[in-house]
Amino acid sequence: MTRLLLGIGNPARGDDGVGPEVAARVARLGIPGVEVATESEPLALLDHLRRPGLDQVVVVDATTPGREPGRVRVLPVGDAHLVRPAAPTGSHALGLADAVELARSLDLLPRRLTLVGVEACTSGVGVALSTPVRTRLDDVVRTVTELLRAAPDSDQVRPPHPSRPR
Amino acid sequence: MTHADDGSREITVETLARVEGEGAMRILVEDGKVADVQLRIYEPPRFFEALLRGRGHTEPPDITSRICGICPVAYEMSACLAIEDACGVTVPEEVRLLRRLLYCGEWIESHTLHVYLLHLPDFLGYPGVVEMSADHRELVERGLRLKHAGNALMALVGGRAVHPVNVRVGGFYRLTTAAELAQLRPLLVRALDDALATVTTVAGLEFADFEQDAYEYVALRTGTDYPIEAGSFVTSGGGAFPARDFDAWVTEHHVAHSNALHASLRDVGPYVVGPLARYSLNHDRLPPTARQAADAAGLGPVCRNPFRSIVVRAVELVTACEEALRIIDGWSDGGVPSVPVPARAGVGYGATEAPRGVLYHRYELAEDGRVLDARIVPPTSQNLASIELDLRAFVQPRLDLDLDELTRRCEQAVRNYDPCISCATHFLDLTVEHV
Repeated sequence: MTRLLLGIGNPARGDDGVGPEVAARVARLGIPGVEVATESEPLALLDHLRRPGLDQVVVVDATTPGREPGRVRVLPVGDAHLVRPAAPTGSHALGLADAVELARSLDLLPRRLTLVGVEACTSGVGVALSTPVRTRLDDVVRTVTELLRAAPDSDQVRPPHPSRPR
Repeated sequence: MTHADDGSREITVETLARVEGEGAMRILVEDGKVADVQLRIYEPPRFFEALLRGRGHTEPPDITSRICGICPVAYEMSACLAIEDACGVTVPEEVRLLRRLLYCGEWIESHTLHVYLLHLPDFLGYPGVVEMSADHRELVERGLRLKHAGNALMALVGGRAVHPVNVRVGGFYRLTTAAELAQLRPLLVRALDDALATVTTVAGLEFADFEQDAYEYVALRTGTDYPIEAGSFVTSGGGAFPARDFDAWVTEHHVAHSNALHASLRDVGPYVVGPLARYSLNHDRLPPTARQAADAAGLGPVCRNPFRSIVVRAVELVTACEEALRIIDGWSDGGVPSVPVPARAGVGYGATEAPRGVLYHRYELAEDGRVLDARIVPPTSQNLASIELDLRAFVQPRLDLDLDELTRRCEQAVRNYDPCISCATHFLDLTVEHV
């Protein structure tokens, strides 16, 4: 079984690049059985979920700036539907919640899918990661590697969908 | 919607959904007549043109590709053409063909995204693609297959699917090999079948009875092929001009309600770019399979119903797949990936057909290649005034509809143009006010 870490974001847009940055750091760790990929748009998640043998997926993405820049949130995707915004919050056509729910509708969810969100501070063009986000990178990498190393049959694992086309 | 004491009404959509970027729509109705329509583009301008000043002449393709995650190839291609024009360089035929092939990937990816994920839910009565997928799984699967094919083509030729890294002024860093293209071919053969099925599906949709006879269409045109990566400007009014004359033909102006500039065509005013214009001015340039598909869909040589733009996009999906396969089948290894583009002082102009319409770049270079001045005119800003005119004409005979239904239809009318607000803020949310 393959485990996948997917970092989503645009490295040229400040904290929006936290997903690819975490992916690069995890890739350097060379964890056996773990593949690492980056994407610029959330909908690309579906392309990855179509791959056979994918058992566990962790997605790292920046979350909307709020009161706690750098705050890390871990959201296991279970049977409850994600709340999707009524309108887009950025220039991408579909958000991560849309992509996850579309995957659910198409029976593409893996046994375990975990979303790791890092609250962004800035997404300016051509700027680096902000200090609040940069200082949490080690914590995010640690959280992600623990998730990837955890046994896939532990808590919050979805049963494989019987009609999943694999 | 708000009602005032004097009987007026205002219909407002605070945040337009399923468009690229952030904008709102406000329609004011006074004494039963549409008095004002505003597309309020509140996504802030990003000042790319100012950011380019002082950068080297090899940098605009990479920098401007970051303007949009949906059409980065368009920015790269128009930038390359303009810089090469300024430096007096013409690229070899294999470079032009590979640029066209890369651009086909972007058309497939972008048109599929709009047809299946953003626009089709309007026609089938769903709030979005997630809800639509529960009842129309096969359609969504087909759309995702098509999008994947476009992404794969961009990843192969461009180095990655978004913001390609293989493009440089003068050509490419590396030419794709015939063996690599042969491996991709089966995916595109399937994509062509899926694109043809897409035309059949969308041709059977129900369209609003709405035609804009007064549209002035503007698109590129070439000597032989359907315009994608090159061409000169033509207009439905008989105008014809090269990219270097664009500034003389098109005037941009600020409107108070929008961070995106509006554009006017000389002696005409608002005009339309994009699939409808491109198709109507280049029907005779469609490749054979795409033209058959258009005929079978009942499009005719000119289309003036913006709601049928979904059919035209589907025909252009066929075009892009057909053209990609033609280039792949004729590809042979051995060409040079790029030619030198030595800096020199001058002004260069470039225009290509982004999925949403003509994208124009102009650069003034110093003798050492530094960018002294830049002008970028994206398709959505060129269409904004026409979208407002569409809404004005569309809403008036439909004022008896309840607000929810009228709002839904107005949003659909805006989405006919696949507006990219992010690009245009160099754009949507609906308000209809009845006063």
